[in-house]
Parts: sequence; structure tokens; C-alpha cells
Amino acid sequence: MVLLAKVALGITSALAMATVYTFHEGLIHVDVDTVEDGGTHVHFWVPATVVPVALEFAPRHKLREAAERVKPLLPALRILSKELENYPTGDFVEVQDHDQHVKIRTRNGSLLIDVDAPGENVHLRVPTKTLDHVARELEANASPE
Amino acid sequence: MIRSKLTLLPAPIFFAATALLFTPYASFPQTADSSSTTQVVSARSDRWLHIRVDNKESKGELVRVNVPIDMAEKILPAINHDQLRHGKIHFDSGKLNDIDVRTILDAIRTSKDGEYVTVQSNENDVRVAKNGGMLFVNVTDKTGPKHSKVEVKIPMKVIDALFSAGKDEVDVVAALHALSAHGGDTELVSVKGDDNDVRIWMDAKNVSN
Repeated sequence: MVLLAKVALGITSALAMATVYTFHEGLIHVDVDTVEDGGTHVHFWVPATVVPVALEFAPRHKLREAAERVKPLLPALRILSKELENYPTGDFVEVQDHDQHVKIRTRNGSLLIDVDAPGENVHLRVPTKTLDHVARELEANASPE
Repeated sequence: MIRSKLTLLPAPIFFAATALLFTPYASFPQTADSSSTTQVVSARSDRWLHIRVDNKESKGELVRVNVPIDMAEKILPAINHDQLRHGKIHFDSGKLNDIDVRTILDAIRTSKDGEYVTVQSNENDVRVAKNGGMLFVNVTDKTGPKHSKVEVKIPMKVIDALFSAGKDEVDVVAALHALSAHGGDTELVSVKGDDNDVRIWMDAKNVSN
């Protein structure tokens, strides 16, 4: 009985550790709501730890394709994502139009992009560390000059 | 044997997991790194450049951009688009109608503090002056229904840095560096127009008021 309890405790502890590790880089939070064309509602939360793993398993040719498309911006993107880590809290851009509101800011080490427009709301939250990882991975897959 | 191993196994895992679970987020290696970065940040110049545009006609229309100068200094050289190359903007000096900007700036730099241009007319009031290492340009346009006002106040060192690059180009990164080194809260540009109000200023706040 004691042995069983210890095994259960071991499993629980391992699960707890796995959970903590999975969420230690934060969460990617995506909310997209549109009303046009029947409307789309996409809401999901993904642990940011998943991104590096997903990039490892993503087809190389797809990554190369994406990297080529944004190649001119990659050096700036890499520096930006790295620099954003130095500014865990800050408001960078806010544009308020008649009925549109766009905000780009950082909170607690995550980049937040909020777009509120008639019939379309997009809210994105990505840890800046994840952005850095994606930028580096894309740069690694871009063809040399 | 197996039992003794099992007896030993859960305790460290349990303690490690408990410690991880109850450790504040900030003590993770990744965050420890970012917290050390925060310390670095506080040692950095921490100057933010703010741009605010308020449109008076369209109700509630506004644009706010806040950029840490350190960040802009690092990112700009990585952007090569159109006239912007390696943090410098190339321009066609032919379009300046034979105005030698460098010579004018040299003349201003070497001159004593004072008012260089004062024009008061029915249409415009213009004042260009240098005082305490700052260049002031004030223009009031009297032709509109409301008098539009443009006030520019730029440290001379920033202007020097801006034109420190070769001919036909301005060094934006050098200017930002000089601006950051200048320190203090500085109102750089203020435009009060009929339609828009524009403000560009520098301070240590990471949000615009």
C-alpha cells in the first residue's frame, strides 16, 4: 500500500513537473472573431513550449518557403524580437480611427496585438521569447545571400 | 532492490516538482535571464521617443507611437528599404535647390547663441535661434482660420550627428544615439495645425500621456 502510494506520488510529481515545464515559457493566446461570411470564431491557447518542438517537426521545405518570403525582414525581426525581451511592459503603437482600434504593446514579457474593428476582432498574445525562437529558426532556414 | 529504488525515487522528484510549482515565475532560468535583463535595462539609457498625432476633424482619430531609442538604434541598421540603408537615409541633393545644408549648419554651429532669423509678416512669423546647444525653429502660420504653430527644438549635437554621414545622406542612427545621450525630457517637435496636432518628444516613460 505504501509502495503504491509512493508510485502514485512519483507519477503525480512527474506530471506536475511536466506541466510546469510545458507552461514555463507562457501561453500563446489567439482570439479571432469575424462576423462577415457567416462569421469565424477562433479561440485557442497553446503553451509556447510547443512552438520550438513544432518548428523542429515542421517540413523543411515549408519553413524554407516561409523564410524566403520574409527574408528581407528577418534581420530586423530577429533584433526586434530579442530587443522586445528588454521591454516586458510597454505601449508601442496605438491607432484609433473612427471605429477601429489597433494596439501593439508588451505585457509581462508577451507581445499583445489587439485589433478591434466593426465585424472583426483579433487579439493575439505571444511570449517575446517565442518570437525570438521563430525568427532564429526562419533565419536558419533562409538561403544565404 | 527495486523497492528500495522506488522508495528513493519519488522524494527528490516530489520536492523538485513542489519547488517548481511554488517557485514564482520570475525564478525560472528563462525569467531569471529576463529579470537580469531588466537590471541591464535600468542601466541603459531607457529613453523613449514618442510620436502623437491627434486629428481634430475626425473625432477621436489618433496615432501614438512609442519607441525605445536603444531599440530603434539597433533595428534601423537591419532595415534596408527604399532610401533607408544601414541606418542612413539617402536623398537627392539636387532637390534642395542648391541649398548647402552642411554649410548653413556649420555656420550655425560656429556662431554664438542668438536669434538668426526673425520674420514677422501678415502671413507668417518665423524665428530661428540657437541657445544653450539647442536649435529652435518657430513658425506661426497666420493664413488659416486658426493660427497654425510649428515649434521645433533640437539639440545641436543631434543635428551634427544627423549630417555626420557622407554627402547626400543623413545618419538617423547617429542622430538617435546623440538624442539618447542628450538625456532629459525634451519636447522636440510640436505642431498645432488646423486639422492635426503633432507632438514628438523624448522621456523615460514607456507609455505616452
